[in-house]
Amino acid sequence: MNRKKSGVVVSVVLFFVLACSTGAMAQANAPIKIGFMGNLSAAFSLSAKGAAQMAVDEMNSAGGIAGRPLELIVEDTKGEIPKAVELYKKLVMTDKVTAVVIGEKVEMAVAGMEIGAELFKEFPHIMFSTIGSGDVIWHHVRDNYEKYKFGFQTYYSVSTNYLNIWGPLNAQVFKELAGAKNVALVYEDMEWTKPLRKGLKDVSPPLKEVYAQNGLKVVYETTLSTDQKMFTSVFEEIAAMEADVIDATVGYIDEGALIKQWEQSSARDLPLYIWGGLAGMPPAWKVTEGKCLGVLVGSSMIRVPITEKTIPFMDNLVGKYKVGPIFGSHTTYDTLYGFKKAAENAGGVDNIEGLIKSLENVEEVAVLGTIGWNAKLHYNLPYPKYVTPIVQWQKEGDQGAMKVIFPAEYANAKYMSPAELRK
Amino acid sequence: MLAYKLQSVLVYAFVWGSIYLLISLGFSLICGVLRIFHLGYGVTFVLAAYGTWALMHELHLGLWPAIGLMFVMQIAFALLVFYKGIFQRYLEQEEILLTLSMLVFLAVTHLANYSYPVTAGVSIPTTIIDGTFKIGKVRLSYQMLFAALTGIGVTLVFVWMFLKTRVGLIIRAMSQDIQASRLMGADVSKMYFLAMALSVIPPTICVLMIAPFWSVDPLMGAPLLTTAMLVSILGGLGNLKGSIVASYLIGFIHASISFFYVSRFMGFAALVITLLVMIFKRGGLYPGETIW
Repeated sequence: MNRKKSGVVVSVVLFFVLACSTGAMAQANAPIKIGFMGNLSAAFSLSAKGAAQMAVDEMNSAGGIAGRPLELIVEDTKGEIPKAVELYKKLVMTDKVTAVVIGEKVEMAVAGMEIGAELFKEFPHIMFSTIGSGDVIWHHVRDNYEKYKFGFQTYYSVSTNYLNIWGPLNAQVFKELAGAKNVALVYEDMEWTKPLRKGLKDVSPPLKEVYAQNGLKVVYETTLSTDQKMFTSVFEEIAAMEADVIDATVGYIDEGALIKQWEQSSARDLPLYIWGGLAGMPPAWKVTEGKCLGVLVGSSMIRVPITEKTIPFMDNLVGKYKVGPIFGSHTTYDTLYGFKKAAENAGGVDNIEGLIKSLENVEEVAVLGTIGWNAKLHYNLPYPKYVTPIVQWQKEGDQGAMKVIFPAEYANAKYMSPAELRK
Repeated sequence: MLAYKLQSVLVYAFVWGSIYLLISLGFSLICGVLRIFHLGYGVTFVLAAYGTWALMHELHLGLWPAIGLMFVMQIAFALLVFYKGIFQRYLEQEEILLTLSMLVFLAVTHLANYSYPVTAGVSIPTTIIDGTFKIGKVRLSYQMLFAALTGIGVTLVFVWMFLKTRVGLIIRAMSQDIQASRLMGADVSKMYFLAMALSVIPPTICVLMIAPFWSVDPLMGAPLLTTAMLVSILGGLGNLKGSIVASYLIGFIHASISFFYVSRFMGFAALVITLLVMIFKRGGLYPGETIW
């Protein structure tokens, strides 16, 4: 080989080495793409989108993940499943996101999970469902881990937790705070209440029996239709059955009408505990014209510093991102921080299998406690890790305020009976 | 317990029946006079609630001025959008008329949802007397009683108008035979106008009366429209006597099912009974081409 030829070979080799190292550097600095899908006409998705953007902005200001910035790609499903499937494909195949966050009802997450499973081999990625309630997501993981291991659920509504954790805790609250012995159970006729009504095989008996095991007698039990507007007869019967507390396992029915009619019934002096929904949101006071005074509700929208993140999260979301914290915004925000820590522990996001293992073991400070996921089932770690306080609507001047009455370590008020509060 | 349940059924059949009457009166009037199955009727409920709220919060009007102005807006909307905009143009093309009416309803609902979603905390402070009282063993809220009495009062005014006034006579004549009424010199357009204006009064009053115990939300029009349709169909489309009987019958079914079985089946039970009536008595309880 003469000198001229060998010079050419060296130049070509140098060119390729340089090109490859530049590419690797570009890859090392390329943004980590996160897809967000939601129904951007719905308040809960808009709030979740704001929370996701806030998390991404904060992380970028702090140097990103392992030196790489984050890029949030937002898509509007318009609440339509075919659209959601199409957008999921686009995010994973075209945009090549590392993770898809589905900030919408569980049906969308299920659709995403199915298409995600088909794409996973060729396009490895993570899917988070941050609003969808129920057991479908983690049941997929439980029943076929290899196929659905990329799916994680960050929401409180998991029946196992309801029956094993919240049932006994509710019984404790009813007995210790409200002095109750007899409870009236009111469910809404939806899929998520079915395990509570019927029990979960090999996991727990129905809620009625959980209460019985914890020293409460269920004296009345009924199920309400989601389109029902008249509840007077239910409350009159509850009062006639001499219940001490009303446990309303509802979140989607017309809670405005429910609360108004409770307040104008014979059962108005019985504490009404509502599991979630409108009653746990700040507008409930206005919507019910203050008739929610005394109502107990599980709510994440309280200004009590559960961690150092709680108050800044609420203030910044409203102040900078112009959306109110609604159910699902906390979980979306916390999910991304959990993802960040897992990615850092895994040494980046390039090895998705490693990232999945890291997500299964991660724990990070969250707005409402600690975020992390069950290693085998992929639902987020329940109470006492992730906290949904029980609040009571009490008066603050002329207005109503949600006061935390449980857990005791976060309480900023004492429980008072509805009759006492109305005095 | 049985005596308590029977008393409850009687009291709530009366109360709910009277409220259903208030909900459905305007729908029956339009069916009876214009012979239109008004799928846009649900707009009236949404406008009543959100119009009053918007006037109070955007223009900072007091409750009564807001209600007064909202009534004017309601009548203007019914006349300009529905009557002039849709009914007059497509009276002979029923499918277009129904579709457009429904679209207007959906558009207003979405506008209300966009402008004032549930998180805006919309409420109408129209409680007359807060609290409850007992009739025998049955407890009832004052506001429900007032709503029921208002339903009866408004119905009596309408019945009196149809039976005792010249305008009522003409409307009845039109509901029986429009061509004959024209030949007899009735100003049909003017009466249509009047019927449209009158039709918004009961549902508007209804929303103001039930707001303290009913939910005010952007989607409230749909269930109220369904109730109005159910009452009118069961009673016989466009027949006021039929609507009165049907309202109390549905009230009775709802109360009986609620107190003797389970409340979530009350809507289903009313639908099944309406279906059975329609099978065995075509045209409803009071079929006939007359409003009274």
